[in-house]
Amino acid sequence: MAETVGAILMDPPVIRRNLNAADPRKMRRIIAEDPEWSLAVVPLLTNLCLEHIVINFEVQPMLHDLLPSHKAYVLEKLPPSLPLEVTANLISDEGYWKKCCVERWGLGDVTAYGNSWKRMFFERHLEKIIELFIPDVTDPKTVLDMVPLCKNYVKKLNISQLLPPIKAPQKADDNDSSDTGSDSGFDGPSMDHFDFGILLDKLIYLEELHLVYGVKGCGMNFEWNLFEFTFRDCESLAKALKQCKTLRVLRILQSKVDNEKCRLLVSYLLDHPSLQDLDLSHNLISDRGARAVGKLLNRSRLRSLNVYDNQIRGAGAEALAYALAKNTSLLTLNLRLNRLGDEGGQAIAQALTKNQTLVNLHLGANQLTEPTAIALSQALVQNNTLKSINLSCNRLGVDGGKVLEEGMSHNDTVVDCDVRLTSIEQESEVCISQILRTNQSKTRRKHTQEPIK
Amino acid sequence: MSQKGNNPQCADVPAPSVLSDNREERIAARRLRIVARNEAKKRQEQGEGSSKEVEEREEAKSQEQVDRSKLRIQRLQTDGTELVSNIQVAADARESLKRDELEEARRLRLEKLEAEAKSSLEKFEEISKRWTGARLREIPQELRDALNSQTQLCATLIEDKNKLINELQQELKVSDDRYVRDLKRQADEVDLMVERMEDQVKTLLISYREEIKEIEGSFNQEHKALMEGNLQKWEKLRKDRGDKEAESLSQRIGRVEEFEALLQKLRVEDAEEYNMIKTKLETDVQVLQQQLQQMKATYQLNQEKLEYNYQVLKKRDEENTITKSQQKRKITRLQDVLNNLKIKLSNQEKQSREENQSQTEEYRRIMHQYKHMQKKKRRFAVMDAQKFEEVWRMNEEEVKALVGRALEIDRLIYQQQLGLEWTPPPLPFMQRSGPIRAQRQARSSALQAAKSMLGRDGEEEEEGDDGKVDEEESPTTTAAAEGKSSEAGVGAGSDAITTGSGVEKPRKVSQKTVKRLLELLCDEAGFLIENKLLKLLSPLEKNEQCLMKLDSIFSAMGIDNEEDVYQLAEFFVKFKQQQQQQQQQQEEEEEGGASGVSDLADSIEGEDLIHPNDILMALKAFTAQHHRIRDSQAAQRGSESLVSCDVCEDVQYWESMAQVISPTKLTVWTSLEKALDKYYTVLTDRSKLLVDTQKLRQQNSELKMLLHQYVNSKVNAELEIPPAQVIQIARNDVINNQSMSRTMKR
Repeated sequence: MAETVGAILMDPPVIRRNLNAADPRKMRRIIAEDPEWSLAVVPLLTNLCLEHIVINFEVQPMLHDLLPSHKAYVLEKLPPSLPLEVTANLISDEGYWKKCCVERWGLGDVTAYGNSWKRMFFERHLEKIIELFIPDVTDPKTVLDMVPLCKNYVKKLNISQLLPPIKAPQKADDNDSSDTGSDSGFDGPSMDHFDFGILLDKLIYLEELHLVYGVKGCGMNFEWNLFEFTFRDCESLAKALKQCKTLRVLRILQSKVDNEKCRLLVSYLLDHPSLQDLDLSHNLISDRGARAVGKLLNRSRLRSLNVYDNQIRGAGAEALAYALAKNTSLLTLNLRLNRLGDEGGQAIAQALTKNQTLVNLHLGANQLTEPTAIALSQALVQNNTLKSINLSCNRLGVDGGKVLEEGMSHNDTVVDCDVRLTSIEQESEVCISQILRTNQSKTRRKHTQEPIK
Repeated sequence: MSQKGNNPQCADVPAPSVLSDNREERIAARRLRIVARNEAKKRQEQGEGSSKEVEEREEAKSQEQVDRSKLRIQRLQTDGTELVSNIQVAADARESLKRDELEEARRLRLEKLEAEAKSSLEKFEEISKRWTGARLREIPQELRDALNSQTQLCATLIEDKNKLINELQQELKVSDDRYVRDLKRQADEVDLMVERMEDQVKTLLISYREEIKEIEGSFNQEHKALMEGNLQKWEKLRKDRGDKEAESLSQRIGRVEEFEALLQKLRVEDAEEYNMIKTKLETDVQVLQQQLQQMKATYQLNQEKLEYNYQVLKKRDEENTITKSQQKRKITRLQDVLNNLKIKLSNQEKQSREENQSQTEEYRRIMHQYKHMQKKKRRFAVMDAQKFEEVWRMNEEEVKALVGRALEIDRLIYQQQLGLEWTPPPLPFMQRSGPIRAQRQARSSALQAAKSMLGRDGEEEEEGDDGKVDEEESPTTTAAAEGKSSEAGVGAGSDAITTGSGVEKPRKVSQKTVKRLLELLCDEAGFLIENKLLKLLSPLEKNEQCLMKLDSIFSAMGIDNEEDVYQLAEFFVKFKQQQQQQQQQQEEEEEGGASGVSDLADSIEGEDLIHPNDILMALKAFTAQHHRIRDSQAAQRGSESLVSCDVCEDVQYWESMAQVISPTKLTVWTSLEKALDKYYTVLTDRSKLLVDTQKLRQQNSELKMLLHQYVNSKVNAELEIPPAQVIQIARNDVINNQSMSRTMKR
């Protein structure tokens, strides 16, 4: 008896159903004498169909014609390995793309991508492609093929490395002179990186672009010419940027941007309709480049300008200060680790008396001394928009500290003032922090009162 | 818990808005709002009862706790970030220091290199100089020495260079070491940073937890306290209510009992009353049934009666309907009549209106006719007068002729018949001619005056034209003159004054002014002239035109004679003066009347006498005045009896004419006539007789001839009886006859 039951059970349920079409048991939902009987064992036809759809999705993608519940089922079942040509513009379900992302890169912070897994996937995918692009070796088609698939989703490109072209036999010969390779125009053309001109104008929603013209993790294979930002690179990039009207944030870091390249970039970025954030940190910009940037300040809508760790000196700072005095859009200015000196510091401080928009100012490690402190304290008395100021690592001295304290005592908007390592007296530091605290509580009160109103 | 989570947020994010897109932010904003409201409420309630102060304090405690924790957390955060960023700042400082150093080092190195380059250049120059010196050497030893020294020098130079290179390589090595050290240190620092960050996160986490716990605790405490207070209150209130409830229940029971007793009593009373009423009502029912029977009987009766009445009324109604219809018909008929009458009335009215109109038309026409008749009458009067004069003249002439003849005859009779001396009788009337009134001097007509005025002017200007004008104008003027004279003749009574004043009156206005005035009139009063006349006048000369125009104007205005013309002129002058005076008066009134009366005459003489614009007014005034005068004159004239006075004079006149031959002479004439008659008859008889004799003589001769013939004819012979015999007989007869006639004649 038990055997028969087992035998019956061993048969696939479908077959059994076919066999016992007339069997009264078929009509019954519950079969009490059969403890293992369950309707769930029998898959529904819809499920079978859906399974089939999933299996053949690559050949016959079919999603939007399905019922919502079926659609969810299919999306659940779809493998992340499907070719992007099929899925890119068809599937918008976040679940699927999350699956894809997790499979490729593990868990990631989706908030950095506007809470969109799909965007994350495509951005990272494109970044990878570009980062691994080797000029003259990789076919540009590999990039361009991706464009129609991802142009609707890519808003930000954070490219952390750009590979230089592989040098053929020549490389071996020039090995010893590689450090002077940048001087010789001989292999100049072959040093060009990926040309953004072919890409940027096609990405219609691109808003942020972070670039590093260098090689990541080169280790002991270090060569100077791995970190070369050539003039032609710069030109093609600038032209591409001019085409990209939606760009809001541009970061070119650690790319050896010198004065000439900076000027070239700026000349193409003048009157850009949407650029708001420009970051040229860790480069080689000095006074002439700073002058160009100053010109850009009043010919664009820049809200934030980062040029820290460059070589801007007094003259460049003066140019920037001149632009700053007339500017009405800039909110943040970061000049950390430059070489402004008192000349530039005073100019910036004087510009602050005229400017009515700047909120954050970073002047850390700029060889500022007492005269700048005096000028700044005067500016602090007059300015009432500045909220945060960083003067760390400047040798302001005891007197400079006192003057600054005096200036701060007449100001009630600055809530953050960094005076670490400025060799000012402890007393002044305490006083300043006291003033800052009262200002903070004032602003907090203002904030708590505002919503009530 | 959530509040705690939000607090830092509210410190970081400026003012979370309720309208924000972010859900969390909205929630936070709402929470903040609630807190603020609570605070506000608290503050409000602070002034109220002291019982709430406990809660108040508790609430404040929790709030205080929140604030405290917030502060602490913030401090922790700032401290932590400072701790972390300290490393960065230090690195920055180090970096900047390093850069300074590097810069300095580079500067030194450059200087050194430059110095080295300079010195080596000098050395090199020295070497190259020596080469030239060495070439001059000819002694091999010297040359060798020189070469040696050269090689030495070169060696030192190379040594220097090598030293420099070594130094640089040393430096490079040092900097490499340094780089490695830096890298290491940076790695350490990064590690430290990470560590500190982790510490920070840890401490923050711990402190967050603690704070949450504390805040929760404080809130719980607060909650507990609140709960307790509220529970107590609740309990108390409940108890109060229970007491009240019990009290009211007992009261209610007492009342219920009371009401039950009352009910019982009432029930008994009602039963009694009910019985009483029942019996009473039964009797009433019986009585009413009886009444009902009676009423039924009366009802039956009444029904019959009413039925009868109804029948009667029905009949009457029918009759009434018939009469009504009749009346209606009648009304319609009468309406028709009324309408007809109305139409008739309107027709009548129309007719009467028309009649009235026609009558008025008639009246107007008759008036017109009457006027016309009057005009005619006047005309006829004139004509009659004229005719009368003509007849008069004719008769007079005739009579005068007759008188002349009579006198001639008388003279003949006296001289021839009677042979007496004839003396003509006195004949005063023979010198007179025309009717007696006609002898009055005709006044010079207005037109003549005007003409004379203008003519004078013409003479002054051009003398040649004058005669022509006279000739051409003569018919009209004469006709006018005749008319005027005849009319003047009618008003014979009143001319004593006018004739006197007509010419002799000293004229107040000069002729010049009059002339100017006339010209002005001619220009201004053009509307008085007929259009036809104007058309006719257009080809004429200016002077003539003026004259013609003046003529028509005068006739329109009723100015007849020269006197009137002068009057007109005078009037105008006066008018002007009056106006001026008025003006002056006005001016004087305005000014205060200091200036004297200016010489008006001068102004008149000198300047234009009247302003053209004023002429019309002046004319109007003048015609009004003039007509008044004329009317009064006409009335005077009408009242006088013209005829009676005239008739006797005429009779006398005519009689004096008739009595030219005196009655004595007449008797003489009659007797003479008689005698002459007699003489005449005699004479006629004689003449007749003479004729008869003549005839008879002729007959006689003829007969003689006949006789002779007969006698002498041959036939006689042949005849039986000769005629001679017969003749004899006949002769006898004839002689007899002759004798008989003679006798008869005698």
